[in-house]
Amino acid sequence: MNCAECRDHFIVCVEGLLDRGQSLQCQAHLETCAECRAEYEQIASLQRCLVARGQAAAGVRMVEAVMRRVRQEQFKPERETIMSKLLKHRWGFGLGATACAAAILLSILLTTPKAQARAAEIMTQGAQAVAKLTSIHLRGQVRTAPQDNFSHIDADREFCAIELWKQFAPELKWRAEKPGRVVVMDGDSAVLYIKNGHYGAKYPHASPSAYDTEWLHRIASLSNTISNELRNAQAKGWQMDTSEETAADGKVKSVVTIHAKSGIPENDYLKNSFFDNADTRRVYRFDTQTKLLETVRYYLVRPAGETLIFDLSQIDYNQPIDTKVWQLDLPADMTWAQEPQTLPDNEKYASLTAEQAARAFLEACSRKDWDEAGKFMSPITEQVKQYLGGLEIVSLGESFTSQSYRGRFVPYEIKLPAQQFNATKKWNLAVRNDNPAHRWQVDGGF
Amino acid sequence: MDLTDKENVERCRDGHPEDFGLLVDRYQKSVFSYLVWRVGNYSQAEEAAQESFVRAFLSLGKLRKPESFYSWLLGIAGRVAQEQFRAELRRGPDGEAAEAMAASATGDTPDYPLEEVIAVLPENHRRVILLRYYEGLSCQEVATRLAMPLGTVTKTLSRAYLLLRQELEARDFRESPEKTVNKREQP
Repeated sequence: MNCAECRDHFIVCVEGLLDRGQSLQCQAHLETCAECRAEYEQIASLQRCLVARGQAAAGVRMVEAVMRRVRQEQFKPERETIMSKLLKHRWGFGLGATACAAAILLSILLTTPKAQARAAEIMTQGAQAVAKLTSIHLRGQVRTAPQDNFSHIDADREFCAIELWKQFAPELKWRAEKPGRVVVMDGDSAVLYIKNGHYGAKYPHASPSAYDTEWLHRIASLSNTISNELRNAQAKGWQMDTSEETAADGKVKSVVTIHAKSGIPENDYLKNSFFDNADTRRVYRFDTQTKLLETVRYYLVRPAGETLIFDLSQIDYNQPIDTKVWQLDLPADMTWAQEPQTLPDNEKYASLTAEQAARAFLEACSRKDWDEAGKFMSPITEQVKQYLGGLEIVSLGESFTSQSYRGRFVPYEIKLPAQQFNATKKWNLAVRNDNPAHRWQVDGGF
Repeated sequence: MDLTDKENVERCRDGHPEDFGLLVDRYQKSVFSYLVWRVGNYSQAEEAAQESFVRAFLSLGKLRKPESFYSWLLGIAGRVAQEQFRAELRRGPDGEAAEAMAASATGDTPDYPLEEVIAVLPENHRRVILLRYYEGLSCQEVATRLAMPLGTVTKTLSRAYLLLRQELEARDFRESPEKTVNKREQP
């Protein structure tokens, strides 16, 4: 072994990955070459240092503690949030956590067109009007599949009802519900229940939002909405307009319109499928007397035209919320989704490609091998078994990605077996492996 | 698929604050280790690390280059350590920990802030280094975790070592970096 070959092997050698023969050759060279020996010793020394630093931190676990504090900071009562501080300090700087949003608003007021500054002002007054918010109840409707994700939209569907109850004080609690699914965060944990699927999931923390409800929570917290919209207006060039309307009862309303661009390309698979990746025109209507936000409307903007997709028609502020709202009556025999655990033969599954995982899952369903299918999807409900058990794979295509999804989509065509589903299904299976076991999990696409 | 720091930061800013937990998980050990070096005391280092993460979360809006999250975070951690040191001085420092804090916080230290050097690595190199040494994974486990062949992991490690050594040299760190690493208080 010469110097170059030996040095090529230094890292695998200090990592103990060289086979015995190569290791002996390397050692033999080091015994005869002082330069390589010095070089090797530097690398070995750096490795020992890295190992020591890592070992010193071996028992460190602070995610929970940090996130608990983050949640507390995030959900301080409205009176503690940006707008109230901002208004109190009259555009002052040095507001710690909220300085950035304050700076953005200040910047907009000083540097942007009058209409945009006016929009910021109206929304700021709206936030000030709810500075002592203890609870909020939003009622509206959204075009979506009733059982689908909370932020899912489908402009071709009929409206279905959507509600959010949120208590900020004395303890943070919330409930989001639409006909096919409900989430309740009772102060300790968030539970999702998929009504027609007869299954659910639990997030064991007092989370300020969970299970795809973030967009709804943003509306419930007007100061967050404002900072979010203003930041995007500045960073992404969203247009903001204001106007005034007179309602049937003669009351004057201030209207802020925001033209939101998702930045997702038109040909992206998920474009316009969820609020966050849709181009929307958002209309916030405030009462000029009370300054309160009264209605919110989102229009999906496509080349073919606009479609109203979200209509929030009623907002109740600081009304007592029935304690039953925080209760969720779950059927005793429901199934719980589980986070994928590392399996004894986890490597076998973690090394699969998305296509291989999709095939393995569908083949397991075809054989009705539910233990095996369960390694790719949780939970395997009776509904899934009835729907997919005995299926026949027609074809699987090459996977592709979407800019707004962390996993991949695998095109498939299957023959569904059961009498009631006697049909061919052609769609894209959503799979993702961003879980601790790093196994591809079926996330949707039926 | 693990998100990059930039993607994680952008998700946090776009209304997914829970995703900040992924960044804490990724950097908790290296930030802690860095603070042990800075303050010379395990319990104070843990307290300072938590404080650093919370401050980072609350200031995410001010981060101009989300891809530089880690070096920005270490900057915050350094300032937290400095504040701790000043608070300790006000209380009247005594004992070994205070001496170590005084030495490190004034920059008069015999060893080296290795994590600052790691922060200059490209993100893919840094991830391999952190998983291998701070998370204690084997090279094979790193390969599985990052869905890359073992050979790619060892090549990335080789490149990372080269870059680390170049940076250490550029900072005029000529002595063995390990000489004082473990002499501090044990947990």
